[in-house]
Amino acid sequence: MTEIVAIIANAVVYGSIYGLVAIGMTLIYGTLRILDMSQGSMVMVGGYVGWWAMATHGINPALALVLAFVFTFGLGTVTELVSVQPLIGRQKSVDFEMVTFITTFAVAIFLTNVALQHFGPFQQNVPSIVGGNLELYNRVSISYHELTMAGISVVLMSGLGLFLARTRWGLAIRAVAQDLDAARSLAVPVTRLYPLTMGLASALAGVGGVFLGALYFASPTAGDLPLLQALIVVVLGGLGSLSGTLYAAYLVGLMQAFCEVEFGTTWTLPILYTAILVILIVRPNGLKGSPSEARL
Amino acid sequence: MSATLEVHGLAAGYDQSIVVRDLDLVVEAGSTVVVIGPNGHGKTTLLRAISGLIKPARGEVLLDGERIDGRPAERISAMGVVHVMQGDGLFADMTVEENLLMGAFHGASWRHRGTALKRVYHELPVVEEKRAQKARTLSGGERRLVGLGRGMMRPARLLLIDEPSLGLAPVAIEAVYAVIRRLHDESEAAIILIEENFTHIEGVADLVHILEAGSLVRSGSYAELSQDRTVVETYLGSIAEPGA
Repeated sequence: MTEIVAIIANAVVYGSIYGLVAIGMTLIYGTLRILDMSQGSMVMVGGYVGWWAMATHGINPALALVLAFVFTFGLGTVTELVSVQPLIGRQKSVDFEMVTFITTFAVAIFLTNVALQHFGPFQQNVPSIVGGNLELYNRVSISYHELTMAGISVVLMSGLGLFLARTRWGLAIRAVAQDLDAARSLAVPVTRLYPLTMGLASALAGVGGVFLGALYFASPTAGDLPLLQALIVVVLGGLGSLSGTLYAAYLVGLMQAFCEVEFGTTWTLPILYTAILVILIVRPNGLKGSPSEARL
Repeated sequence: MSATLEVHGLAAGYDQSIVVRDLDLVVEAGSTVVVIGPNGHGKTTLLRAISGLIKPARGEVLLDGERIDGRPAERISAMGVVHVMQGDGLFADMTVEENLLMGAFHGASWRHRGTALKRVYHELPVVEEKRAQKARTLSGGERRLVGLGRGMMRPARLLLIDEPSLGLAPVAIEAVYAVIRRLHDESEAAIILIEENFTHIEGVADLVHILEAGSLVRSGSYAELSQDRTVVETYLGSIAEPGA
């Protein structure tokens, strides 16, 4: 029983943060057909914003999260304008997916090196959002920080879902994902919609970065692992499928938590990646993916 | 009457192949013009060039006297050009109601989306019954009606309708044309309707053009052209078929 509680608690925490970072990649892939390699950098930048706000300026955690959201939203918007917008409309002459994969990767390298230049190769301690632990059951405890992280992740992902389902611009994002020509012929300004989409995705990763920063550190390469994990989740879920991404995030979280409790951390990653490999051999398009359809 | 749309010397196509060549077309305000022609002769290309989904290679397109050729589709659409695309152009994984709402995306129309939705549901009760269904689960006829309904979600200056009868069963075509006839009678928009033949357009067309090999080769009223044996036999064999 103790083990089960520990596994479930960790699965929820891991799954939520994986979902938060990965869902933006899915949103971007579904809408723009871009595998956004700058998404990890937004986690890294979010971590630094959290560190800057809370550790060096004593700004309260809630406001730090808002700051991270706003700052990475802006950065995501600029990333789109710099690395994607110039290529739109040239889909016939350039391999859009491949070139944007490289241009967004270039942005990621650039941001990593800006951080390195500016803050040095040091790890900065990011304060927790809230202190203390909650004992769940028989010495199994979870920190309030992780609990808040899971809670805010779920709230933000639900918020994204509502935004896409209910609002004018949310509907427009889905419309563009499903039929670009039809959306344009309904006066949807794609040149404004694409930056908005990448801004939103980046902002979610940025908020995730503040939480992850406190669990690990803020450092120039802090985005690398989250990017890798997000890629795994996104591919496992099926590229472009929002619900698939959520399933995959919690599935990966559950597998990781299970392995950690049952076999120890040494075996966690080998077992996790083997399991994912097997799943992808059985279902090459991921859990909810279909070969080349719009799915948002 | 003044012209809502003027097209002068239009050439358009895809990549290297020009499909529409040196085409002239005038659509008077409030009138319905039907363009008829065989498959692959440039009907859809003509509409896509007008609505900006493809950039014309040469020529001018004027909406109420203002040049619009070369502008992006979303800008042209924002000026009041509503394009009901071939094969519906519905968002397959969105519900019928979400599809309709997208029809009111532009500017002030969004504020009046509730009223517009009520009007469309009133005109098309079949569509209201399906409001919560995903577009991909609809039949071909239902999809076409939703496409037309979406086109009615905001005021249009120019309505482009691309082969509404394509691939539909006769009953469904009847339902679709009932809507188009109402649009023709009641809407203030100028309409360009594209069809492959004369079968369904009686009572809808103020003027009929025949498009062949990328140019308009004959023009006249429905009565004139449908009685012309050369026209009927050359381009449109189907009119003589009983029950077609």
